[in-house]
Amino acid sequence: METSAKSPATIASDSGYPLREMVRVYGAVGGFARSHIVIGWIVLFLLVWFFNPIKAMPYPGEVLTAFQRMWNAPGSSGLVYNVYVTLKLNLVGVLISSVLSLVISYLAVIPLFQPFNKFVQWLRYIPIVGFNLVFLTLFAIGWPMKVAMLTTGMSFFLVTSMTGVIVGIPQMKYELARVLGYNDWHVFYSVVVRPTLPAMIDMIAQNAAMGWVMITAIETFNRTEGGIGSQIYAYTSTNQLAEVYAYLLIIGVIAVLEDGLLSLIKRVLFPYSLVAERA
Amino acid sequence: MADPNTDCIPGPLDQMPERLETLLHIENVGKEFPMNDGSTFVALKDFTLEIQNIKNKPQIVSLLGPSGSGKTTALRIIAGLDKPTSGSVLITNGAEHQLRPVRVGDVGVVFQRYPLFEDLNVLHNLIDPAVRSGMSKEKAKDKALRLLDEFDLVKQGLAWPLQLSGGQRQRVAILQQLMLDRHFIILDEPFSGLDPVNILNVIKLISNIAHQHTLNTFLIITHDVTSALIISDHLYLLGRERDAGGVPQQGSKVMKQYDLIAEGLAYRSDIEDLPRFSEIRKEIRLVEFPKL
Repeated sequence: METSAKSPATIASDSGYPLREMVRVYGAVGGFARSHIVIGWIVLFLLVWFFNPIKAMPYPGEVLTAFQRMWNAPGSSGLVYNVYVTLKLNLVGVLISSVLSLVISYLAVIPLFQPFNKFVQWLRYIPIVGFNLVFLTLFAIGWPMKVAMLTTGMSFFLVTSMTGVIVGIPQMKYELARVLGYNDWHVFYSVVVRPTLPAMIDMIAQNAAMGWVMITAIETFNRTEGGIGSQIYAYTSTNQLAEVYAYLLIIGVIAVLEDGLLSLIKRVLFPYSLVAERA
Repeated sequence: MADPNTDCIPGPLDQMPERLETLLHIENVGKEFPMNDGSTFVALKDFTLEIQNIKNKPQIVSLLGPSGSGKTTALRIIAGLDKPTSGSVLITNGAEHQLRPVRVGDVGVVFQRYPLFEDLNVLHNLIDPAVRSGMSKEKAKDKALRLLDEFDLVKQGLAWPLQLSGGQRQRVAILQQLMLDRHFIILDEPFSGLDPVNILNVIKLISNIAHQHTLNTFLIITHDVTSALIISDHLYLLGRERDAGGVPQQGSKVMKQYDLIAEGLAYRSDIEDLPRFSEIRKEIRLVEFPKL
């Protein structure tokens, strides 16, 4: 998930000159000026894209035409089909890895499970292809294997991030619950699980982005069902870069939407997280 | 109807109050911590303290000491959060008047930074502990609303803890402990960082809460001499003994105690006008504190 720098009230001061505020450390920038900053960056990006000197990078018009070709392509080489295959894989992967990682991370507060948690965290250093043989033995080639690879790969990183959230719970919170007479289960729920759920959603959002990087690699390795990864591989090998960039743009748009959706879920389910962000 | 035998009488007493059963008995408590270099750090040594039930009055006792004198270690042991290396902490639950080793949860603690459950609104910060302790939801809600009303926090009932001011947060933290019907509450540095007006407000608040039941016992951990003198009936100075060369020895203990009831300083609103108040304050600040 994208994070934005907060403006500490103690530092921010409005000099009355919006342009000056835009370049000050934590300058007091209002909503109107902020939207102009965003528009400015988009314009700059488009200018660079339109007039870029790198010949390998297709121009916007070429990418737009590529979209049209991909949209009109039949069956399994079409845009909708491949986006659907990858999106489905992404959502299933995020869902399963989130549940698995939450369980492994939350169990880290119990000494018996701490070595297992550490081991899973350590596995993030192992390239996911290192598990291919294991996955081939356990799962059928195609959808099950892709799900297994994505879920496993994402979980190693998710467990690391989520455990970091749990380790960061101040000791005083546990002690507050203890002096209030909470039993182990109540402490676990009231101090460990319930208050960290918004942060866990942030971790899922961060790792969902990482999932997109893995997906393309996994679909390249396992191309039986198609998907954006296999399409990018195919178009790259035939030097159709406009199509490659069209798919990259789609990934970007989906990632932004996914980010927004998770942020919305967090705000609706845990309204206090909004207060915490502003504090 | 008020029961003169068990209920608190406000204001000063006509005669010396009767001291009843022991509510807290701390005997020769020691606490040692292993250090990285293999040595041992002695935080407390022979720490002894007793709090008795005072008839028709609550008990407000202050444990005073400079930074590093072991106040927090003492707090944690009295609250049952840490086990002492030696000695014992015995407490009565009030109803049975029988001393037994303290267990975590017996004693309420209002920690210095007033931690609350940030993901629960103020009302549920009060309801949740009560329900988990076995109170019905309806009863807990009624009690929480009554307390919020009594302590001028009704408007904040649906606010998140992060939206509270420091003073409001402190009151909610105290009320959270009151929800559990416990008589023994430790307040860790309740006057820390407050301006004089707010210190007086906190003193009034603690005194009002304490006077709701004669078994109510507040142990205040502080280094604020004036506030401790104003609010307390007993005052204990925690510090370390020194050798002949003036070098402090390891392990803090109660170095001196003041019975402010016997001094005629307890339960009085005009305490700051009394010469004895100034004398004791001066003695603690200039003579006792530097020795601790």
